[in-house]
Amino acid sequence: MTWEGNVARGAGAISAATGAFEQLPYSLASRIEKPDGKTSPEELLAAAHAACFAMSLASELSEAGSPPEHLDVGATVTLDQVEDGSHRIVASELLARARVTDIDQATLERLAASASEGCPLTKLIEASARVTVTATLEGDEHGD
Amino acid sequence: MATDRKAEVTWRGDLVSGSGRIDSVGSGAFGGLAVNWRARSEDGASDTSPEELIAAAHAACFSMALSSGLAKAGHAPEELKTSATVTFQPGEGITKIVLDVAGTVPGMDPDEFQKAAETAKENCPVSKALAGVPEISLSARLES
Repeated sequence: MTWEGNVARGAGAISAATGAFEQLPYSLASRIEKPDGKTSPEELLAAAHAACFAMSLASELSEAGSPPEHLDVGATVTLDQVEDGSHRIVASELLARARVTDIDQATLERLAASASEGCPLTKLIEASARVTVTATLEGDEHGD
Repeated sequence: MATDRKAEVTWRGDLVSGSGRIDSVGSGAFGGLAVNWRARSEDGASDTSPEELIAAAHAACFSMALSSGLAKAGHAPEELKTSATVTFQPGEGITKIVLDVAGTVPGMDPDEFQKAAETAKENCPVSKALAGVPEISLSARLES
């Protein structure tokens, strides 16, 4: 990846070794203000955490005898200014909706918590930030 | 002000034979990226993985921190070319990150550049969040 100029007015571009993504633009503004179509380190970390958690949850469900038909996973990573004025990643919030047979809500919640702990990125982030996990069964949102 | 960055992932099936997709991110900068266990655990993949996204996040974060440090020292960079390589050991987690930066920085002393790069490595928010990785190394040089 490349960066040109200073941090406030400069701009960068990010490419992946696999070629899966190329020349993604990012800037300071995309990080601490409105993204305006540009990515940021925290957004890439959110994508990494969501993917890591999804794989881990798929594995937990399969080991429990119920591989998921479909998992919808979201991760929201929060960057905040801390007391000394520097920016820190303070939280990552994981959300999962699972379409899966033969699993009840309580079991899903237990497996989701364990899946988060089993994802290497959770362990790293947890050392300095809050990681939360919410999991619901698809079709169960109305409390039946 | 705190900023939230969000990513959405869909997963179908179990871990090893199932497959996932990073559907979207809040900024819209990328989406529709395939992710799967093979891309994560074998070399030569063309799909992305959590670790590749972490590499992109870390390289981007480090570059911004370094450009900020250099500009504060009166040497805003013309260009920084950074790579981050994240090593994933299945069953163990993320064992190593290698940062490599080549800078085009007018009037910069190589030792000072090295120091500024070390400081960026210590202080960028992604480095702080990933501080639990057993080994994070840095190689920094100036392009002549």
